[in-house]
Amino acid sequence: MELLCEDQELLEGFLAETTELLEKMDDDLVALEKAPDDMELLNGIFRSIHTVKGASSFLGFELLVQITHKTEDVLNRLRKDELKVTPEIMDVILEACDTVKLLVNDIRNGEIVERELDWIIDKLLPYISGTAQEAPVLAAPPAEPPPPPVDGSGDAAPSTSPDADPPMLIDEKPAAPGKAAPSASAAAAPKGAAGRGEDISDNTTVRIDVKRLDDLMNQVGEMVLERNRILQMNIDYQSRENMTSFGEEFGKLAKRIDFVTSELQMQVLKIRMIPVEKVFKKFPRIVRNLSRDLGKEVELEIIGEETELDRSVVDEIGDPLIHLIRNALDHGLELPEDRVAAGKPRTGKVVLSATHEGNQIIISIRDDGRGIDPDKLARKAIEKGLVSEEQVAAMSHKEILDLIFLPGFSTKEKATDLSGRGVGMDVVRTNIRKLNGIIEIRSEAGSGSEFTLKLPLTLAIIQSLLVEVESEVYSVPLAAVLETIKVENSTFHQIAGQEVLKLRETVLPLLRLQRIFGVGGNGEESGHSYIVVIGVAEKRMGLVVTRLLGQQEVAIKSLGKYLAKAPGIAGSTILGDGRVALIVDPAGLMEMDASGTPGSWAA
Amino acid sequence: MATAVNFKTEESKAELIQLVSFNLEQEEYGVYVLKVREIIRMPNVTRVPNTPYYVEGVINLRGKVIPIISLRKKLSLPDAENDKHTRIIVMDVDGELMGFIVDSVSEVIRISSSEIQPPPAVVNGGIEQEYLSGVINRADRLLVLLDLERVFSGAERGSLVGASL
Repeated sequence: MELLCEDQELLEGFLAETTELLEKMDDDLVALEKAPDDMELLNGIFRSIHTVKGASSFLGFELLVQITHKTEDVLNRLRKDELKVTPEIMDVILEACDTVKLLVNDIRNGEIVERELDWIIDKLLPYISGTAQEAPVLAAPPAEPPPPPVDGSGDAAPSTSPDADPPMLIDEKPAAPGKAAPSASAAAAPKGAAGRGEDISDNTTVRIDVKRLDDLMNQVGEMVLERNRILQMNIDYQSRENMTSFGEEFGKLAKRIDFVTSELQMQVLKIRMIPVEKVFKKFPRIVRNLSRDLGKEVELEIIGEETELDRSVVDEIGDPLIHLIRNALDHGLELPEDRVAAGKPRTGKVVLSATHEGNQIIISIRDDGRGIDPDKLARKAIEKGLVSEEQVAAMSHKEILDLIFLPGFSTKEKATDLSGRGVGMDVVRTNIRKLNGIIEIRSEAGSGSEFTLKLPLTLAIIQSLLVEVESEVYSVPLAAVLETIKVENSTFHQIAGQEVLKLRETVLPLLRLQRIFGVGGNGEESGHSYIVVIGVAEKRMGLVVTRLLGQQEVAIKSLGKYLAKAPGIAGSTILGDGRVALIVDPAGLMEMDASGTPGSWAA
Repeated sequence: MATAVNFKTEESKAELIQLVSFNLEQEEYGVYVLKVREIIRMPNVTRVPNTPYYVEGVINLRGKVIPIISLRKKLSLPDAENDKHTRIIVMDVDGELMGFIVDSVSEVIRISSSEIQPPPAVVNGGIEQEYLSGVINRADRLLVLLDLERVFSGAERGSLVGASL
């Protein structure tokens, strides 16, 4: 069916508003389940769905009207206290919301698919007519939740009769969304619960504080003034006027332009910043669904959702975070009984927090579950042939935990639908690395684990240290640089073929950029070198370079898809003189070194 | 490029095609003009480590970083020093800009598509057959029509990196 909406602007407005309402509604619904008596919250939800219904009917989206209308009816009964908020009702309402999102997404994609909606409407109907009232009242305690209706719809044909019977304690496993019946709408709805993030979020439009826009305009105004000044100076220069003060004037101008552009850069960066809440707000819903599916009791605490970071980063961290949260719930937290047996509160706690630290944002996911057992982990890694026993013996606690990031690793004996579906922690780490970020694990057996992500605020501009290797210039991200030192070549040592340097209390493995990048040297040995000490997570390494050129803020340019995978290279940038300089990838270099020279494993 | 590859036998259906012709080791080659974005002189090229031998490096093209390929190396021709005639033909290869170093660029020529003959069965000079989309044989010149998109076929593009590691 072709979209018959002539007024594109109207449609875009509808999409933006609906998306926002729906995202908020998700959050509110989960909150409502926890605080069923909060009338204000309920009214808010009711208003939201009402607004969506109104707008849809105005624009003639019949399917949307049908479903929102029924959902509204159910909410209305809740509002009038004719129904009580129960997990079962919430399941159905959440499902209905997912379906609404699906429909809205269809509209966004420009074509309306005739979706079968009867299955979800059939589920809503009992709550409207009141026939299902008994069921919720008899609902089992949350510890042994009845099969969420999601299951039924996912596995069976859309014509599943209303789930009105008091639920039996059926095995919950059929929740597997992947095995859903071929019916498109039924299959898509349960999937929406988890993977919805990428479907619904609309990244094509931005809302900006007017104040920020005004600031930006001011900066641009100043920029224009400076441009005029340059033009004027050029005219003077060409006509050889005012030559005496030219140098001085030019110096001043350069300083002012430097100032104005940095300000401008800051302003634009600020405009691109959005609160991390955009990603965080889908987690309560995910945690709710997961905890019900897993039969665990979980409390999710979110701290610092107002922390801002660049859009590009926000868009990319969603999936890794979902994965980590799933892991925390699935592998980390114990079943309520086990928790009680271990002397912990029944309800497990997962804390998701975000804070700024200098030019980085730190996101951490902490659970108070069973923690990671390093011995088990190491055994598993050996079993899978990922590492040898000798290697493990030489490893620190931290390094053993890092084994979890090796490709092909999964400690859970039986892989569930939730985690262990082949996308392991190595994918998470790869994704974080792509963002120039790092991931660290802290874990204590018995009392929980914490995964910490450190990400740059933006991907577009970084602080870097320019170094010269023979005659080529490379840029090293300053975030990874710990210190720089000048040393006499005679102080280098060799350990099993690996060049090292004694640096205070530690032994630092060295990597000659000249060798690894194959830069032709002029054979001239100056007797001393400069070492750039880089650190990624806990690992340290020294890069041997010819000269240090200084610190500079550089704009990252992609190398294009043909060269994007060059090992040890993260990208490129353009220097003041127009030349291209390559940006080295510290994490990549460490890996190259680890694979090339096993001797550096323990370093 | 696809239209240039069609070997139309009927004279009547022949369409006019414009080619940019350039030289490499005394031979004349041509590429489809619509794929050519611009032709520039040799700028400073920054080497990229651990890339295949024929990747000369990257350059700054008005704020965009694009890879530069030495066609001489890619086509297994002997190396030569860059001189004042050396040019880079910047082309659109599968949606991305890429620069190709050639000895010199001569002109834009118009030919009728019927003039394109299929490449000879045995190709001399080491150019792999697949890059050739045809040969144009005029009275005074022989022009080899190159398909640079096929020079970087899907499989090859994936391996553009790390081959020489």
